[in-house]
Amino acid sequence: MTSTTTSVQRRRLIQGAGATALGFLGPWNVHRAWAQSGAKKPLLIGLSTDDTGPYASSGQDEQRGILMAINEVNARGGVLGRRIETIHADTGGDAVQAAAVAQTMLAQKEVAFLLGGVHSGAANAISQVAQKYGCIYFNTNSSSPSEAGKDCHRTKFVWDGNGTNFSTSVVKGAMTGFGRDWLLLTSDYQWGHNTARGIRTLVEGNGGRIVEEMLVPQNTRDFSSQLQKIQQRKPGVIATAVGGEDLKVLREQVRKAGMDRSFGWINNQQDWPDVYGLGREAMFGIFGTTWYWGMRLPGIKEFVERYQRANPTYRIKVPGNVFYNGYMATHELFHAIERAGTTHNLKVIKELENLRIPAAKRMQHEDAYMNPLTHQLQQNIYIASYNSFPRESDDIFHILARLRPDEVEDTSSVQQCKLESFAATPSYEP
Amino acid sequence: MNFLLSLLPHLANGISLGLLFALIALGFMLIVGVMETINLAHGSLFALGMYFALFLVAPKLGMFPELQAWYMAFSIEARYLIALVLAPVFVGLFGMLLELCMRRTYGRDPLYGLLLTFGAALVIEEAIRLTWGSSEQQLVLPQAISGAFTVGGLLYSKYRLFASGFAILMILLLWVFLQKTPFGAIIKAGAHDSEMVRALGINLSRLRLFVFGLGVALAAISGVVMAPIWGIRPHVGVDAVVPAFLIIVLGGVGSLWGAVIAGLMVGMVVGITGAYASEWSLMSMYLLFIAVVTFRSRGLFGKKSVLDV
Repeated sequence: MTSTTTSVQRRRLIQGAGATALGFLGPWNVHRAWAQSGAKKPLLIGLSTDDTGPYASSGQDEQRGILMAINEVNARGGVLGRRIETIHADTGGDAVQAAAVAQTMLAQKEVAFLLGGVHSGAANAISQVAQKYGCIYFNTNSSSPSEAGKDCHRTKFVWDGNGTNFSTSVVKGAMTGFGRDWLLLTSDYQWGHNTARGIRTLVEGNGGRIVEEMLVPQNTRDFSSQLQKIQQRKPGVIATAVGGEDLKVLREQVRKAGMDRSFGWINNQQDWPDVYGLGREAMFGIFGTTWYWGMRLPGIKEFVERYQRANPTYRIKVPGNVFYNGYMATHELFHAIERAGTTHNLKVIKELENLRIPAAKRMQHEDAYMNPLTHQLQQNIYIASYNSFPRESDDIFHILARLRPDEVEDTSSVQQCKLESFAATPSYEP
Repeated sequence: MNFLLSLLPHLANGISLGLLFALIALGFMLIVGVMETINLAHGSLFALGMYFALFLVAPKLGMFPELQAWYMAFSIEARYLIALVLAPVFVGLFGMLLELCMRRTYGRDPLYGLLLTFGAALVIEEAIRLTWGSSEQQLVLPQAISGAFTVGGLLYSKYRLFASGFAILMILLLWVFLQKTPFGAIIKAGAHDSEMVRALGINLSRLRLFVFGLGVALAAISGVVMAPIWGIRPHVGVDAVVPAFLIIVLGGVGSLWGAVIAGLMVGMVVGITGAYASEWSLMSMYLLFIAVVTFRSRGLFGKKSVLDV
């Protein structure tokens, strides 16, 4: 590994965050021209990915994706002749810790860009700090609709499909297959609420009915009460907005109770690190994904081979959607810098806002494009279920259908997103 | 009437949940009661029990493929039974080693014991991560306790019924051991007045070693039982240690039936709020705790302190 990855201790982060808070009150609109200036100085990138917490598996996976992209770019001489170096701190899937991480990385470590995020609360916290500094932040894997909606920022770009994109893709199909009475099982925090709101709108908009919404606290380890209540209510479909470890526990308990075949279960998204290697038991219902290694598209075979060379001993033998998002987003950052011919943040932002990525480069079926009004990448969404006839042991998704980017676009986020103006965004050239 | 009928499954579920909570808390209670030490590694030892069971049900012996093949030739029922018996024994022995390390903290500020067990918890969790990896794993179960059955039109998990029955069995066995055997009497005496026990010529060090081993083995047993319900992850112990602590304080430190009844109360509260006000389900156990401790600071069945007038 050629990049420098440094772990920052939490206590030091908090101390640093406190100390820099005072400095933060200064005239930041004219700041940071000094930061990392100098010819061919390495470009330092902050990785704000999770090592621990409810999304630890995904956090570690996306970090591998980001680092593979960085190593590939370094191998061909860096970006604009500058090597890429990295610094990493664990956000733990916690908003407070994530804000402290972002603050320290920007105020003390003077990173040029911030990459990484799975937990929407943490990603939102990072993006607020990043916006104050004018630092471009890539939310690579958090899929709360609010991330490109009411919590959007000029400096933030969202690379994963969001809850509304995934819901849109699966609601119509499920309504036909399982009926019009839906029950929402919603994780009681920002991502859960936002995702459930999106599903409710779609279901009701398509003539369905929400018979009940059950909010479950994060870190719920026993869903037996909720499962009994579901049986008493007898909905046709249960749409879950439950993520991370909670989803794994729910899935297991649904299966043990024999309810996986009695109802239509809808999961917005099934992240690859959460299901890899666990077999049929790990999945139930239908779900959305942005990418699957088993699709027969040009470039995927080579991508998988590069992944396997870069991660020879990693437990996940083929890349999944989380790795893919981290990798693709990082490459697009470097391409945007190269197209802009500079690392000046506002110029790079303009490049990213006009981004259009050919399908072949994305290894998807249609071109993807950045929505300049929300800063969310619009891309194919694939509807999938467990693959009962795998070609090999890792071929665990069966792609049922695909939807074009325009078919699943989250139109409500356009109304909710109010990007800061360029003039109100601090500028810098790292 | 309809409401009461609809409430019945949730009451039954609450009892089942409560029995499992009580099982988790019993080992914790035993160590706190006899040794007056809060074992913060209880959760990690609970997790270790899960991983030992995982190994004993489906061992991965890369260097000894023939041995692995020989062992895997046993039926899943036999391997599960071996795991249910041997995983707690191994973890109990590990717990005894931990107790030997703790001896230097006895008679000192209780903070030392807390710090030592906290450190042990971190070490155990990292050791699990290094040995088995950080991703989730699942315990394979015998067919007889897998799947579901139907009662009154509702589906129930066979395994949950098995786990509840097993929890009742373990609680009764522990009660018989403590109440009806001479060794149980010594343990109770040790919890009441350790100096008097020593004065009577009983080896207090050995007693503590045994009690700690037994308490840790109970943590491991509850880990093995909970593994198919909660899933197996390195940090799963955190989910166990918080309700365990809450239940023994609620029931009264050192009281076996206090822990059982507190476990049932917590289970019922969590079960019923889970069905009717789901977002309050976790909060409800803390509210119950506050309500009880406000009016009865020593818990439901705790002995009156000499400081109480």
